[in-house]
Amino acid sequence: MKVNKKSAMTWPAMLMLLCFTLIPLLIMFETSFRSDETGTLTLENYKKFFTNFMYIKLTGSTLLMSLLVTVISLLIAYPLAYIMAKKLKGLKNVILVLTIIPFFTNQLVRVYSWLIFLQDGGILNRLFMSFGLAENGLGILYTRAAVVIGLTHAFFPYMVVTIYMALERMDDSLIEASMSLGASKWTTFKDVIFPISMPGVMSGVTIVFVPCLGSFVEPRILGGVNGTVIGTVIEDQFFQLYGWNFGAAIAFVLFALVLIFMGAFGALGRRWETE
Amino acid sequence: MNRKTGFFGKLLIVLVLLYLYVPIVVLMLLSFNESRYNSLPFKFTTHWYQELAADTELINSAKNSLLLAFLTGIVCMILATFFILGQRYLAKRTQGLFNSIVMMPMSIPWLIIGLSILLMIRFMGFSKSMFFVAMGHIVISLPYSLLVLRARVSSLDKSLEEMSASLGASPWTTFRRVTFPAIAPAMLAGGFLSFLISFDNFPISYFLMPNGIFTLPIEIQSSIKFGFTPEINAISTIIIGISLVCLTVVGLIMRSNLKAMLGGKD
Repeated sequence: MKVNKKSAMTWPAMLMLLCFTLIPLLIMFETSFRSDETGTLTLENYKKFFTNFMYIKLTGSTLLMSLLVTVISLLIAYPLAYIMAKKLKGLKNVILVLTIIPFFTNQLVRVYSWLIFLQDGGILNRLFMSFGLAENGLGILYTRAAVVIGLTHAFFPYMVVTIYMALERMDDSLIEASMSLGASKWTTFKDVIFPISMPGVMSGVTIVFVPCLGSFVEPRILGGVNGTVIGTVIEDQFFQLYGWNFGAAIAFVLFALVLIFMGAFGALGRRWETE
Repeated sequence: MNRKTGFFGKLLIVLVLLYLYVPIVVLMLLSFNESRYNSLPFKFTTHWYQELAADTELINSAKNSLLLAFLTGIVCMILATFFILGQRYLAKRTQGLFNSIVMMPMSIPWLIIGLSILLMIRFMGFSKSMFFVAMGHIVISLPYSLLVLRARVSSLDKSLEEMSASLGASPWTTFRRVTFPAIAPAMLAGGFLSFLISFDNFPISYFLMPNGIFTLPIEIQSSIKFGFTPEINAISTIIIGISLVCLTVVGLIMRSNLKAMLGGKD
Protein backbone atom coordinates (compact mmCIF):
# COMPACT_ATOMS: atom_id res chain seq x y z
CA MET A 1 0.00 0.00 0.00
CA LYS A 2 1.19 3.47 -0.89
CA VAL A 3 0.24 4.91 2.50
CA ASN A 4 2.52 2.56 4.43
CA LYS A 5 5.50 3.26 2.24
CA LYS A 6 5.52 6.94 3.18
CA SER A 7 5.51 6.09 6.88
CA ALA A 8 9.00 4.62 6.34
CA MET A 9 10.22 8.22 6.63
CA THR A 10 9.94 7.79 10.39
CA TRP A 11 12.52 5.02 10.44
CA PRO A 12 15.78 7.03 10.51
CA ALA A 13 14.68 8.87 13.67
CA MET A 14 13.38 5.66 15.22
CA LEU A 15 16.66 3.90 14.41
CA MET A 16 18.60 6.66 16.18
CA LEU A 17 16.41 6.36 19.25
CA LEU A 18 16.73 2.57 19.18
CA CYS A 19 20.53 2.64 18.98
CA PHE A 20 21.25 5.55 21.29
CA THR A 21 18.47 5.51 23.87
CA LEU A 22 16.52 2.25 24.01
CA ILE A 23 19.39 -0.24 23.59
CA PRO A 24 21.68 1.73 25.97
CA LEU A 25 18.91 1.66 28.60
CA LEU A 26 18.59 -2.12 28.18
CA ILE A 27 22.35 -2.50 28.52
CA MET A 28 22.28 -0.32 31.63
CA PHE A 29 19.59 -2.60 33.05
CA GLU A 30 21.68 -5.68 32.33
CA THR A 31 24.82 -4.05 33.76
CA SER A 32 23.03 -3.21 36.99
CA PHE A 33 22.77 -6.95 37.68
CA ARG A 34 26.49 -7.60 37.30
CA SER A 35 28.86 -7.71 40.22
CA ASP A 36 31.56 -5.02 40.28
CA GLU A 37 34.12 -7.58 41.54
CA THR A 38 33.43 -10.72 39.54
CA GLY A 39 31.22 -9.56 36.68
CA THR A 40 28.73 -12.37 37.24
CA LEU A 41 24.97 -11.91 37.35
CA THR A 42 23.81 -11.02 40.83
CA LEU A 43 21.33 -9.01 42.86
CA GLU A 44 24.04 -7.63 45.12
CA ASN A 45 23.99 -4.09 43.66
CA TYR A 46 20.33 -3.63 44.42
CA LYS A 47 20.72 -5.36 47.78
CA LYS A 48 23.53 -2.95 48.63
CA PHE A 49 21.33 0.01 47.75
CA PHE A 50 18.16 -1.03 49.53
CA THR A 51 19.76 -2.40 52.72
CA ASN A 52 22.11 0.52 53.31
CA PHE A 53 20.35 3.21 55.31
CA MET A 54 22.60 5.86 53.77
CA TYR A 55 21.19 5.27 50.29
CA ILE A 56 17.60 5.17 51.52
CA LYS A 57 18.14 8.47 53.32
CA LEU A 58 19.75 9.88 50.20
CA THR A 59 16.74 8.89 48.10
CA GLY A 60 14.47 10.49 50.68
CA SER A 61 16.39 13.75 50.74
CA THR A 62 16.52 13.87 46.93
CA LEU A 63 12.74 13.41 46.77
CA LEU A 64 12.29 16.07 49.45
CA MET A 65 14.52 18.53 47.61
CA SER A 66 12.65 17.94 44.34
CA LEU A 67 9.33 18.36 46.13
CA LEU A 68 10.48 21.63 47.69
CA VAL A 69 11.64 22.99 44.34
CA THR A 70 8.33 21.93 42.76
CA VAL A 71 6.22 23.59 45.46
CA ILE A 72 8.21 26.83 45.30
CA SER A 73 8.00 26.78 41.50
CA LEU A 74 4.25 26.33 41.70
CA LEU A 75 3.93 29.23 44.14
CA ILE A 76 5.80 31.46 41.71
CA ALA A 77 4.48 30.08 38.43
CA TYR A 78 0.77 29.86 39.14
CA PRO A 79 0.15 33.49 40.15
CA LEU A 80 2.40 34.69 37.35
CA ALA A 81 0.64 32.54 34.74
CA TYR A 82 -2.74 33.66 36.09
CA ILE A 83 -1.85 37.34 35.84
CA MET A 84 -0.53 36.82 32.32
CA ALA A 85 -3.56 34.88 31.11
CA LYS A 86 -6.33 36.84 32.79
CA LYS A 87 -5.05 40.32 33.62
CA LEU A 88 -2.43 41.48 31.17
CA LYS A 89 -3.12 42.34 27.56
CA GLY A 90 -0.31 43.67 25.38
CA LEU A 91 2.58 42.94 27.70
CA LYS A 92 1.86 39.28 28.27
CA ASN A 93 3.74 37.97 25.26
CA VAL A 94 6.78 40.02 26.21
CA ILE A 95 6.72 38.67 29.75
CA LEU A 96 6.15 35.12 28.51
CA VAL A 97 9.20 35.37 26.26
CA LEU A 98 11.30 37.01 29.00
CA THR A 99 10.35 34.19 31.36
CA ILE A 100 11.27 31.44 28.94
CA ILE A 101 14.60 32.80 27.66
CA PRO A 102 16.68 31.74 30.68
CA PHE A 103 15.29 28.20 30.31
CA PHE A 104 17.18 27.96 27.02
CA THR A 105 20.45 29.51 28.16
CA ASN A 106 23.44 27.47 29.15
CA GLN A 107 22.95 25.42 32.32
CA LEU A 108 26.57 25.77 33.39
CA VAL A 109 26.56 29.52 32.83
CA ARG A 110 23.41 29.85 34.95
CA VAL A 111 24.85 27.76 37.79
CA TYR A 112 28.11 29.65 37.60
CA SER A 113 26.28 32.99 37.75
CA TRP A 114 24.57 31.88 40.98
CA LEU A 115 27.91 30.78 42.36
CA ILE A 116 29.34 34.27 41.76
CA PHE A 117 26.17 35.95 43.00
CA LEU A 118 25.73 34.01 46.23
CA GLN A 119 29.31 33.60 47.36
CA ASP A 120 30.56 35.27 50.51
CA GLY A 121 31.91 38.66 49.47
CA GLY A 122 29.77 38.51 46.32
CA ILE A 123 27.23 41.04 45.13
CA LEU A 124 24.31 39.82 47.25
CA ASN A 125 26.55 39.76 50.29
CA ARG A 126 27.58 43.39 49.72
CA LEU A 127 23.99 44.43 49.20
CA PHE A 128 22.92 42.84 52.47
CA MET A 129 25.85 44.39 54.31
CA SER A 130 25.12 47.87 53.00
CA PHE A 131 21.56 47.57 54.37
CA GLY A 132 22.93 46.25 57.64
CA LEU A 133 21.24 42.88 57.10
CA ALA A 134 24.43 40.85 57.33
CA GLU A 135 27.51 41.34 59.46
CA ASN A 136 29.97 39.40 57.34
CA GLY A 137 29.51 36.27 55.27
CA LEU A 138 26.02 35.33 54.06
CA GLY A 139 26.71 31.63 54.25
CA ILE A 140 24.09 30.76 51.61
CA LEU A 141 26.45 29.15 49.13
CA TYR A 142 27.19 25.47 49.75
CA THR A 143 23.87 24.85 51.52
CA ARG A 144 20.69 23.07 50.48
CA ALA A 145 19.07 26.51 50.14
CA ALA A 146 21.51 27.45 47.39
CA VAL A 147 20.71 24.22 45.54
CA VAL A 148 16.97 24.89 45.78
CA ILE A 149 17.46 28.49 44.55
CA GLY A 150 19.50 27.25 41.58
CA LEU A 151 17.15 24.40 40.65
CA THR A 152 14.04 26.56 40.90
CA HIS A 153 15.71 29.13 38.69
CA ALA A 154 16.51 26.41 36.17
CA PHE A 155 13.12 24.74 35.91
CA PHE A 156 10.17 26.94 36.95
CA PRO A 157 9.99 29.00 33.70
CA TYR A 158 8.54 26.12 31.72
CA MET A 159 5.91 25.57 34.40
CA VAL A 160 4.74 29.14 33.82
CA VAL A 161 4.21 28.21 30.16
CA THR A 162 2.19 25.03 30.79
CA ILE A 163 -0.08 26.69 33.37
CA TYR A 164 -0.46 29.78 31.20
CA MET A 165 -1.55 27.63 28.25
CA ALA A 166 -4.17 25.87 30.36
CA LEU A 167 -5.53 29.14 31.75
CA GLU A 168 -5.56 30.87 28.40
CA ARG A 169 -7.60 28.12 26.76
CA MET A 170 -10.19 28.48 29.49
CA ASP A 171 -13.39 30.32 28.67
CA ASP A 172 -13.69 33.52 30.73
CA SER A 173 -17.47 33.35 30.67
CA LEU A 174 -17.22 30.40 33.08
CA ILE A 175 -15.67 32.73 35.65
CA GLU A 176 -18.26 35.40 35.01
CA ALA A 177 -21.06 32.83 35.32
CA SER A 178 -19.69 31.59 38.62
CA MET A 179 -19.35 35.14 39.98
CA SER A 180 -22.78 36.23 38.84
CA LEU A 181 -24.28 33.18 40.55
CA GLY A 182 -22.95 34.62 43.78
CA ALA A 183 -19.81 32.53 44.27
CA SER A 184 -17.02 34.36 46.06
CA LYS A 185 -13.66 34.95 44.36
CA TRP A 186 -12.13 32.15 46.40
CA THR A 187 -14.92 29.66 45.62
CA THR A 188 -14.71 30.54 41.95
CA PHE A 189 -10.99 29.93 42.01
CA LYS A 190 -11.22 26.69 43.99
CA ASP A 191 -14.16 25.13 42.14
CA VAL A 192 -13.89 26.55 38.63
CA ILE A 193 -10.49 27.97 37.70
CA PHE A 194 -8.13 25.62 39.52
CA PRO A 195 -9.71 22.32 38.36
CA ILE A 196 -9.68 23.50 34.75
CA SER A 197 -6.02 24.50 34.95
CA MET A 198 -5.10 21.16 36.54
CA PRO A 199 -3.75 19.44 33.38
CA GLY A 200 -1.40 22.39 32.87
CA VAL A 201 -0.39 22.31 36.52
CA MET A 202 0.38 18.60 36.38
CA SER A 203 2.50 18.83 33.24
CA GLY A 204 4.29 21.77 34.86
CA VAL A 205 4.88 19.71 38.00
CA THR A 206 6.33 16.89 35.85
CA ILE A 207 8.58 19.30 34.00
CA VAL A 208 10.05 20.59 37.28
CA PHE A 209 10.03 17.51 39.52
CA VAL A 210 11.52 14.95 37.12
CA PRO A 211 14.66 16.86 36.09
CA CYS A 212 15.24 17.76 39.76
CA LEU A 213 15.37 14.06 40.61
CA GLY A 214 18.13 13.57 38.07
CA SER A 215 20.05 16.79 38.72
CA PHE A 216 23.70 16.62 39.69
CA VAL A 217 25.31 19.82 38.40
CA GLU A 218 23.43 22.31 40.57
CA PRO A 219 23.68 20.19 43.76
CA ARG A 220 27.40 19.61 43.24
CA ILE A 221 28.39 23.19 42.43
CA LEU A 222 25.98 25.17 44.62
CA GLY A 223 25.59 22.65 47.44
CA GLY A 224 29.17 21.49 47.89
CA VAL A 225 29.34 18.82 50.59
CA ASN A 226 25.73 19.60 51.54
CA GLY A 227 24.56 18.95 48.02
CA THR A 228 24.78 15.16 47.93
CA VAL A 229 21.82 13.73 46.01
CA ILE A 230 21.21 10.57 43.96
CA GLY A 231 22.65 12.29 40.88
CA THR A 232 25.95 13.23 42.51
CA VAL A 233 26.35 9.75 44.00
CA ILE A 234 25.87 8.23 40.53
CA GLU A 235 28.42 10.68 39.13
CA ASP A 236 30.91 9.68 41.85
CA GLN A 237 30.46 6.00 41.04
CA PHE A 238 31.55 6.69 37.48
CA PHE A 239 34.24 9.31 37.97
CA GLN A 240 35.73 8.69 41.40
CA LEU A 241 34.98 5.21 42.65
CA TYR A 242 34.79 3.20 39.44
CA GLY A 243 31.92 1.07 40.68
CA TRP A 244 30.20 1.26 37.31
CA ASN A 245 27.84 -1.66 37.79
CA PHE A 246 26.66 -0.40 41.17
CA GLY A 247 26.35 3.04 39.56
CA ALA A 248 24.14 1.51 36.87
CA ALA A 249 21.92 0.00 39.58
CA ILE A 250 21.51 3.40 41.29
CA ALA A 251 20.81 4.99 37.92
CA PHE A 252 18.12 2.40 37.33
CA VAL A 253 16.53 3.11 40.69
CA LEU A 254 16.51 6.77 39.63
CA PHE A 255 15.00 5.83 36.27
CA ALA A 256 12.27 3.83 38.03
CA LEU A 257 11.48 6.82 40.26
CA VAL A 258 11.25 9.03 37.18
CA LEU A 259 8.82 6.64 35.49
CA ILE A 260 6.71 6.24 38.62
CA PHE A 261 6.33 9.98 39.16
CA MET A 262 5.74 10.72 35.49
CA GLY A 263 3.01 8.10 35.42
CA ALA A 264 1.44 9.36 38.63
CA PHE A 265 1.45 13.02 37.60
CA GLY A 266 0.13 12.12 34.16
CA ALA A 267 -2.72 10.07 35.62
CA LEU A 268 -3.57 12.86 38.05
CA GLY A 269 -3.67 15.41 35.25
CA ARG A 270 -5.91 13.20 33.11
CA ARG A 271 -8.30 12.55 36.00
CA TRP A 272 -8.95 16.26 36.34
CA GLU A 273 -9.29 16.64 32.62
CA THR A 274 -12.15 14.16 32.36
CA GLU A 275 -14.05 15.49 35.35
CA MET B 1 -14.19 40.57 34.83
CA ASN B 2 -11.64 42.80 36.41
CA ARG B 3 -8.70 42.93 34.04
CA LYS B 4 -6.45 45.24 36.05
CA THR B 5 -3.15 44.05 37.40
CA GLY B 6 -2.99 45.05 41.04
CA PHE B 7 0.02 46.21 43.00
CA PHE B 8 0.92 42.69 44.09
CA GLY B 9 0.66 41.43 40.54
CA LYS B 10 3.11 44.03 39.31
CA LEU B 11 5.40 43.36 42.26
CA LEU B 12 5.37 39.64 41.46
CA ILE B 13 6.30 40.24 37.82
CA VAL B 14 9.17 42.53 38.82
CA LEU B 15 10.46 40.10 41.45
CA VAL B 16 10.33 37.14 39.08
CA LEU B 17 12.20 39.03 36.37
CA LEU B 18 14.80 40.16 38.93
CA TYR B 19 15.22 36.56 40.11
CA LEU B 20 15.63 35.36 36.54
CA TYR B 21 18.01 38.01 35.30
CA VAL B 22 20.03 39.64 38.09
CA PRO B 23 22.65 36.89 38.52
CA ILE B 24 23.14 36.60 34.76
CA VAL B 25 23.43 40.37 34.27
CA VAL B 26 25.86 40.63 37.19
CA LEU B 27 27.99 37.93 35.60
CA MET B 28 27.97 39.75 32.26
CA LEU B 29 28.94 43.04 33.92
CA LEU B 30 31.76 41.39 35.85
CA SER B 31 33.25 40.18 32.58
CA PHE B 32 33.99 43.86 31.88
CA ASN B 33 35.35 44.51 35.37
CA GLU B 34 39.04 44.94 35.98
CA SER B 35 39.33 43.04 39.26
CA ARG B 36 40.63 39.50 39.08
CA TYR B 37 38.55 38.54 42.14
CA ASN B 38 35.19 39.86 40.95
CA SER B 39 35.43 42.66 43.51
CA LEU B 40 34.16 46.21 43.26
CA PRO B 41 34.40 49.14 42.52
CA PHE B 42 33.61 48.53 38.89
CA LYS B 43 36.36 49.56 36.49
CA PHE B 44 35.66 48.96 32.81
CA THR B 45 38.07 46.83 30.82
CA THR B 46 38.03 44.47 27.84
CA HIS B 47 41.16 42.84 29.16
CA TRP B 48 39.48 39.46 29.84
CA TYR B 49 38.21 39.24 26.28
CA GLN B 50 41.72 39.85 25.00
CA GLU B 51 43.02 37.07 27.27
CA LEU B 52 40.31 34.86 25.83
CA ALA B 53 41.42 35.52 22.29
CA ALA B 54 44.90 34.29 23.17
CA ASP B 55 43.77 31.17 25.03
CA THR B 56 44.17 28.34 22.51
CA GLU B 57 42.68 25.75 24.85
CA LEU B 58 39.44 27.69 25.24
CA ILE B 59 39.33 28.39 21.52
CA ASN B 60 39.67 24.67 20.80
CA SER B 61 36.85 23.93 23.22
CA ALA B 62 34.73 26.56 21.51
CA LYS B 63 35.47 24.93 18.15
CA ASN B 64 34.41 21.53 19.52
CA SER B 65 31.20 22.98 20.91
CA LEU B 66 30.33 24.75 17.68
CA LEU B 67 31.18 21.75 15.51
CA LEU B 68 29.03 19.42 17.62
CA ALA B 69 26.16 21.89 17.71
CA PHE B 70 26.33 22.48 13.97
CA LEU B 71 26.29 18.77 13.21
CA THR B 72 23.47 18.19 15.70
CA GLY B 73 21.44 21.04 14.23
CA ILE B 74 21.73 19.73 10.66
CA VAL B 75 21.09 16.07 11.48
CA CYS B 76 18.15 16.89 13.77
CA MET B 77 16.64 19.10 11.11
CA ILE B 78 16.74 16.26 8.57
CA LEU B 79 15.61 13.50 10.94
CA ALA B 80 12.81 15.62 12.36
CA THR B 81 11.50 16.60 8.93
CA PHE B 82 11.39 12.99 7.74
CA PHE B 83 9.80 11.86 10.97
CA ILE B 84 7.12 14.51 11.17
CA LEU B 85 6.10 14.06 7.55
CA GLY B 86 6.18 10.27 7.77
CA GLN B 87 4.31 9.84 11.04
CA ARG B 88 1.14 11.23 9.50
CA TYR B 89 0.82 8.02 7.48
CA LEU B 90 1.07 5.70 10.46
CA ALA B 91 -1.90 3.94 12.04
CA LYS B 92 -3.19 5.86 15.07
CA ARG B 93 -1.79 3.50 17.67
CA THR B 94 1.67 3.15 16.09
CA GLN B 95 1.71 6.91 15.64
CA GLY B 96 1.23 7.44 19.37
CA LEU B 97 3.90 4.89 20.23
CA PHE B 98 6.47 6.27 17.77
CA ASN B 99 5.86 9.83 18.91
CA SER B 100 6.29 9.00 22.56
CA ILE B 101 9.53 7.11 21.79
CA VAL B 102 11.18 9.99 19.91
CA MET B 103 10.12 12.46 22.62
CA MET B 104 11.50 10.24 25.41
CA PRO B 105 14.88 11.99 25.83
CA MET B 106 13.02 15.15 26.77
CA SER B 107 11.62 13.57 29.92
CA ILE B 108 14.42 11.19 30.96
CA PRO B 109 17.18 12.98 32.92
CA TRP B 110 20.16 13.46 30.60
CA LEU B 111 22.37 12.01 33.31
CA ILE B 112 20.71 8.65 32.65
CA ILE B 113 20.97 8.93 28.86
CA GLY B 114 24.65 9.92 29.02
CA LEU B 115 25.44 7.09 31.42
CA SER B 116 23.59 4.44 29.49
CA ILE B 117 25.41 5.35 26.26
CA LEU B 118 28.69 5.22 28.19
CA LEU B 119 27.77 1.73 29.43
CA MET B 120 26.89 0.66 25.91
CA ILE B 121 30.28 1.85 24.66
CA ARG B 122 31.98 -0.26 27.30
CA PHE B 123 29.65 -3.22 26.73
CA MET B 124 30.47 -3.30 23.03
CA GLY B 125 34.18 -2.85 23.63
CA PHE B 126 34.47 0.51 21.87
CA SER B 127 36.28 3.47 23.34
CA LYS B 128 34.89 6.94 23.94
CA SER B 129 34.84 9.08 20.82
CA MET B 130 33.34 12.21 19.34
CA PHE B 131 31.01 9.98 17.30
CA PHE B 132 29.12 8.84 20.39
CA VAL B 133 29.04 12.35 21.83
CA ALA B 134 27.42 13.54 18.61
CA MET B 135 24.89 10.69 18.63
CA GLY B 136 24.01 11.51 22.24
CA HIS B 137 23.55 15.17 21.39
CA ILE B 138 21.34 14.26 18.43
CA VAL B 139 18.91 12.07 20.40
CA ILE B 140 18.46 14.64 23.16
CA SER B 141 18.07 17.59 20.77
CA LEU B 142 15.73 15.86 18.31
CA PRO B 143 12.58 16.34 20.46
CA TYR B 144 13.05 20.11 20.30
CA SER B 145 13.25 20.11 16.49
CA LEU B 146 10.17 17.91 16.44
CA LEU B 147 8.28 20.27 18.73
CA VAL B 148 8.93 23.18 16.39
CA LEU B 149 8.10 21.25 13.22
CA ARG B 150 4.98 19.66 14.64
CA ALA B 151 3.59 23.11 15.41
CA ARG B 152 3.87 23.98 11.71
CA VAL B 153 3.03 20.64 10.08
CA SER B 154 -0.14 20.10 12.08
CA SER B 155 -1.57 23.20 10.41
CA LEU B 156 -0.45 21.94 6.99
CA ASP B 157 -3.24 20.48 4.89
CA LYS B 158 -2.40 16.93 3.84
CA SER B 159 -4.91 17.16 0.98
CA LEU B 160 -2.68 19.70 -0.78
CA GLU B 161 0.03 17.06 -1.14
CA GLU B 162 -2.52 14.46 -2.20
CA MET B 163 -3.89 16.83 -4.80
CA SER B 164 -0.43 17.48 -6.15
CA ALA B 165 0.20 13.73 -6.39
CA SER B 166 -3.13 13.05 -8.09
CA LEU B 167 -2.32 15.71 -10.66
CA GLY B 168 0.67 13.59 -11.58
CA ALA B 169 3.50 15.22 -9.67
CA SER B 170 6.22 12.85 -8.51
CA PRO B 171 6.73 12.55 -4.72
CA TRP B 172 9.93 14.56 -5.07
CA THR B 173 8.20 17.34 -7.01
CA THR B 174 5.39 17.39 -4.47
CA PHE B 175 7.88 17.76 -1.67
CA ARG B 176 9.87 20.42 -3.48
CA ARG B 177 6.94 22.50 -4.68
CA VAL B 178 4.25 21.99 -2.03
CA THR B 179 5.52 20.63 1.28
CA PHE B 180 8.95 22.16 1.50
CA PRO B 181 7.97 25.81 0.99
CA ALA B 182 5.38 25.44 3.73
CA ILE B 183 7.66 23.88 6.32
CA ALA B 184 11.09 25.32 5.41
CA PRO B 185 10.96 28.08 8.05
CA ALA B 186 10.02 25.57 10.75
CA MET B 187 12.82 23.25 9.62
CA LEU B 188 15.29 26.08 10.01
CA ALA B 189 13.89 27.13 13.39
CA GLY B 190 13.98 23.53 14.60
CA GLY B 191 17.56 23.20 13.44
CA PHE B 192 18.55 26.34 15.33
CA LEU B 193 16.84 25.12 18.50
CA SER B 194 18.65 21.77 18.32
CA PHE B 195 21.89 23.64 17.67
CA LEU B 196 21.26 25.57 20.87
CA ILE B 197 20.38 22.49 22.94
CA SER B 198 23.58 20.79 21.83
CA PHE B 199 25.71 23.92 22.28
CA ASP B 200 24.46 24.26 25.86
CA ASN B 201 24.60 20.61 26.78
CA PHE B 202 26.78 19.54 29.66
CA PRO B 203 25.73 16.09 30.97
CA ILE B 204 26.04 14.14 27.70
CA SER B 205 29.41 15.68 26.79
CA TYR B 206 30.65 15.24 30.36
CA PHE B 207 30.06 11.49 30.33
CA LEU B 208 31.02 10.72 26.75
CA MET B 209 33.85 13.09 25.74
CA PRO B 210 37.20 11.35 25.25
CA ASN B 211 39.73 12.38 27.90
CA GLY B 212 41.42 15.68 27.20
CA ILE B 213 38.83 16.93 24.69
CA PHE B 214 36.62 19.69 26.08
CA THR B 215 33.50 21.62 25.15
CA LEU B 216 32.73 25.06 26.57
CA PRO B 217 30.36 23.81 29.31
CA ILE B 218 32.99 21.27 30.41
CA GLU B 219 35.55 24.07 30.40
CA ILE B 220 33.34 26.13 32.73
CA GLN B 221 32.76 23.16 35.00
CA SER B 222 36.45 22.38 35.34
CA SER B 223 37.32 26.01 35.95
CA ILE B 224 34.75 26.10 38.76
CA LYS B 225 36.43 23.03 40.20
CA PHE B 226 40.00 24.23 39.86
CA GLY B 227 39.70 27.96 40.48
CA PHE B 228 38.33 30.46 38.03
CA THR B 229 39.37 33.71 36.42
CA PRO B 230 37.23 36.46 34.87
CA GLU B 231 38.02 34.83 31.53
CA ILE B 232 35.18 32.46 32.40
CA ASN B 233 32.88 35.47 32.88
CA ALA B 234 33.87 36.60 29.41
CA ILE B 235 33.28 33.23 27.75
CA SER B 236 29.97 32.92 29.62
CA THR B 237 28.90 36.30 28.28
CA ILE B 238 29.71 35.17 24.76
CA ILE B 239 27.77 31.93 25.27
CA ILE B 240 24.73 33.89 26.47
CA GLY B 241 25.07 36.08 23.39
CA ILE B 242 25.04 33.02 21.09
CA SER B 243 21.98 31.62 22.92
CA LEU B 244 20.14 34.91 22.51
CA VAL B 245 20.90 35.03 18.79
CA CYS B 246 19.58 31.46 18.30
CA LEU B 247 16.46 32.14 20.35
CA THR B 248 15.77 35.36 18.47
CA VAL B 249 16.00 33.54 15.14
CA VAL B 250 13.66 30.78 16.35
CA GLY B 251 11.28 33.34 17.83
CA LEU B 252 11.14 35.46 14.69
CA ILE B 253 10.60 32.51 12.36
CA MET B 254 7.99 30.86 14.56
CA ARG B 255 6.25 34.05 15.68
CA SER B 256 2.79 32.98 14.64
CA ASN B 257 3.27 29.39 15.83
CA LEU B 258 5.00 30.27 19.09
CA LYS B 259 2.14 29.15 21.30
CA ALA B 260 1.62 25.86 19.51
CA MET B 261 5.34 25.26 19.82
CA LEU B 262 5.60 26.02 23.53
CA GLY B 263 2.48 24.06 24.35
CA GLY B 264 3.75 21.05 22.45
CA LYS B 265 0.43 20.70 20.66
CA ASP B 266 -1.88 22.83 18.57
